[in-house]
Amino acid sequence: MAKDVYSTGEAAKICRVSQQTIIRCFDSGKLDGFYVPGSRFRRIPRETLIRFMKENSIPLTNLDSDKKKVLVVDDETELVDLFVDILERDGRFQVKTATCGYDAGLLTQQFRPDIIVLDYMLPDINANVVCKTIHSNPGLEDTKIILISAHFDEADGSAEVERLGADAFIQKPFQLDEVVAVIADLLKL
Amino acid sequence: MAAAGLQRRKVELLLEEVDHLPTLPGVSLHVLPLVMADTPRPRDIQLAIEIDPTLAARILKLAIDLGAPADSVVSVDAALQVVPLDALTASLLSIDTVDQKVAKDVELPRLWRHVLATAMACQIIATRVGTVPPETALLAGLLHDIGQVALRVLMPRAYAQVLEQLRAGNTDLLEAERDLFGLDHAVLGKQLAQRWGFCETLQNVIWLHHQAQVPTANRGAGGGLTELVRLADLLARQHGFSYHAAEQIPENTAEVAERIGLSGIQAEQIGHQVSTAIEFNAGPLGLREEPSPDELRRVFLGANVRLGELYHNGYSLSHAAQAESRESGLLLQLNADLAACHSTRDVLETVGTTACNALDLHVALPYVVATDGTYVEGVRCIGGRVEEHFLYEVTSGDSLEPWPTRPGIPLSPSSAPVRAERVEGWLFERQGIDLGSGPFYASAIAVEDSKLGALVFSIGNPPHELTPQEARQVAAVVTLAGIALKRSQADADLVALSERLADVNRQLEATHHKSLQQRNVASLSEMATGAAHEINNPLAIISGRAQQLASLQQDAATRDILQTIIDQAERISDIIMELRAFAKPPAPKPESVEPAALARRAAGDVEPPAGAPAVPVDVEADDDTPPIQVDPDQVAAALSEILANAVQACAHAGAGTVRLAVESLTVGGEVRFVVTDSGPGMDPQVRARAFDPFYSGYEAGRRCGLGLPKAYRAIHANGGDMTLESTPGHGTTVRVTFPAFKPTPSESANGSVRA
Repeated sequence: MAKDVYSTGEAAKICRVSQQTIIRCFDSGKLDGFYVPGSRFRRIPRETLIRFMKENSIPLTNLDSDKKKVLVVDDETELVDLFVDILERDGRFQVKTATCGYDAGLLTQQFRPDIIVLDYMLPDINANVVCKTIHSNPGLEDTKIILISAHFDEADGSAEVERLGADAFIQKPFQLDEVVAVIADLLKL
Repeated sequence: MAAAGLQRRKVELLLEEVDHLPTLPGVSLHVLPLVMADTPRPRDIQLAIEIDPTLAARILKLAIDLGAPADSVVSVDAALQVVPLDALTASLLSIDTVDQKVAKDVELPRLWRHVLATAMACQIIATRVGTVPPETALLAGLLHDIGQVALRVLMPRAYAQVLEQLRAGNTDLLEAERDLFGLDHAVLGKQLAQRWGFCETLQNVIWLHHQAQVPTANRGAGGGLTELVRLADLLARQHGFSYHAAEQIPENTAEVAERIGLSGIQAEQIGHQVSTAIEFNAGPLGLREEPSPDELRRVFLGANVRLGELYHNGYSLSHAAQAESRESGLLLQLNADLAACHSTRDVLETVGTTACNALDLHVALPYVVATDGTYVEGVRCIGGRVEEHFLYEVTSGDSLEPWPTRPGIPLSPSSAPVRAERVEGWLFERQGIDLGSGPFYASAIAVEDSKLGALVFSIGNPPHELTPQEARQVAAVVTLAGIALKRSQADADLVALSERLADVNRQLEATHHKSLQQRNVASLSEMATGAAHEINNPLAIISGRAQQLASLQQDAATRDILQTIIDQAERISDIIMELRAFAKPPAPKPESVEPAALARRAAGDVEPPAGAPAVPVDVEADDDTPPIQVDPDQVAAALSEILANAVQACAHAGAGTVRLAVESLTVGGEVRFVVTDSGPGMDPQVRARAFDPFYSGYEAGRRCGLGLPKAYRAIHANGGDMTLESTPGHGTTVRVTFPAFKPTPSESANGSVRA
């Protein structure tokens, strides 16, 4: 999940300054924010943090850059949950999910995932359409796609990967280690 | 009493032999000329019969013997209606006569006159009272004393004693008879009448005509016939027609007459009437004068001549009938023999031997011409034995007609034999066949104008020309032969037809089996695709969650359990994917492959089953085996599956050997891989389903049951064929055959180098 609100510690990490500096700016009004109701914990919304960073010429690259964004698309919600569980537990990934092709398209625009774990057979749009859309979209050329399927064996799956211009194939059921390894490999982690 | 019983039995036994009784010489003298007349007059003959008890009995018996119901022949006229003239003539011509001396000793003419008088009286009484037909009454009167007639003519010496006793005056007739014979003429007469089949009414008249009071039960049956005869008998005796000279005048007849509705005076009148008629006619009827021996001899000579002629005619008739019956017997037998023949050769041999034996042929040579006319098949029989069975090719120069080629004598399709000659160009002349020295004939074997062949034959020993009778017999035999040959041809056609049908059925079955298999595979494919999706997704979740738990689990034992879940999920998935692969096999990528190398590769890929005795796989492959055009990966995998199956079968049985031989078939140049195992073999049911997916002949522990089916699919996809032969207890042999590799023109250089 991409964060909407940051603590002063997180903001310091993102801006590569000390936490004291952030607190000082917060208290002086240079960085807008609020207190958690009934406490003295400071919280900074994502928008004000970005405005603050821009005003002070701090590069935005550190904002969320510590985690790779993974979009998991599968109509099997249980399976989606499993992916989220595994990938978030790993710590290196920021995960969003979709259960149909339409949602997948929308989220791709917003979330700009680094990699899409895409089930071959979706209830509305087939994986080949999704692949085509992504590849034809400027700015998404580098998005990696892993096809997962309950249909294909390794050979057929690999052939399909080639045909659709995807990057890897994973047959269901799978070894979780392998899935993570493939994703890490594709993202050069 | 015992002596009387014995005597009676002797008399009875003697009479059992008697079919006819002799008559008086005078009667025969009267009758025979009537019978021998150029144009016999039946009415005269009938009148002659109606005066004589033995003739009446004879004709009645003849009619009954010829099948007339006894109840319907109750008059001489009725009997004559059913007896044909020649039978009547023969019967009357063969009458016996009693010796003249005997006739005199036992007073036969007197008895005859008594009988005649009684008969006439019967007729008159019957006419008067109207209760019985007069002609029936006449017959009853004629026969009423038949027992006495028999006793007198058959045992004259004994009967002379009876008469002697009567003359002594101390007994009556019936008593004297019983004393001497153990039975009286009434009882004896009834026995005779019974044995000769006379109707019951007549039997009763003969039996009861001496009873003073006829039992009521018998009175009605013949319409009072017995009473009537009794009255006539009494009247006759009263008016001078007694049995014997010493007879006393019987009791008053008036009482008897009144019982049947006549007054005493009427009865008396009848008696006189009869008396006068007989006195007037006895002479001409042969009942008085004793004929001279010369006269008698002359008449009998004539009768014998006439009888001889009659017998001759009868003999000719019966001879012809015999010949005909022999002929039909022969044909019946031949027909039965032919019915048991199932082949053309059987028919020919049966016809040949039957013709030889039954018709006394010297040589019999039945043959048939093949339907396409290219050859003849026949047998040659000599003296009833089959000498040879031959097949001669018919060439264009051959003639099948054994006579000089002049127009006009085609071998007619009728089976009548035709005189033949050995002529130039005749097929059997060319073959130099031995037909004996005499004249020979040919008879077409044909059915409904279609000529099948012929019977060539020569007649017996010594050789002679064919008689019309022989010709007829040959024609009959040949007609039957034609039918039998036609039938055997039809049988053969039927067999051929049923073979063709069986062939078509086999093909249909194979096609059906294939299409069934294809349909099964198609639906399997559909199912497998759906199943893969439906099953693999949950499996992924189960497996994934189990992996997740396992990674967090510190306890090794729990991790093992979780690992089992993961492994089993994987196994299910493997089955699904294998099924899917079976249903939708990948397209082969054929290339030229060396069979020997392929065999060795396949054998090397076989993994020994875990925990079972090792089963070696021997490969026998010649490196010179010509290459085949197949996808090496698929075929090697298929062969591996077959080998694995064989190894599994042997391992299952505890031991055994598996052999993979590569053969190059000389015919057609096909290449065949033969996998033989010495395992337990398969039951026919298992064998029939060996290529069905998921069907395993083994108990649990077997692989998933797709090995052979997958191999079968792969072999077929690569243009080969796969067959399986197995017998329980004798192992299993799988043959995988690929067609010869026919190099395309660009590859032919390669091929020719190899060759």
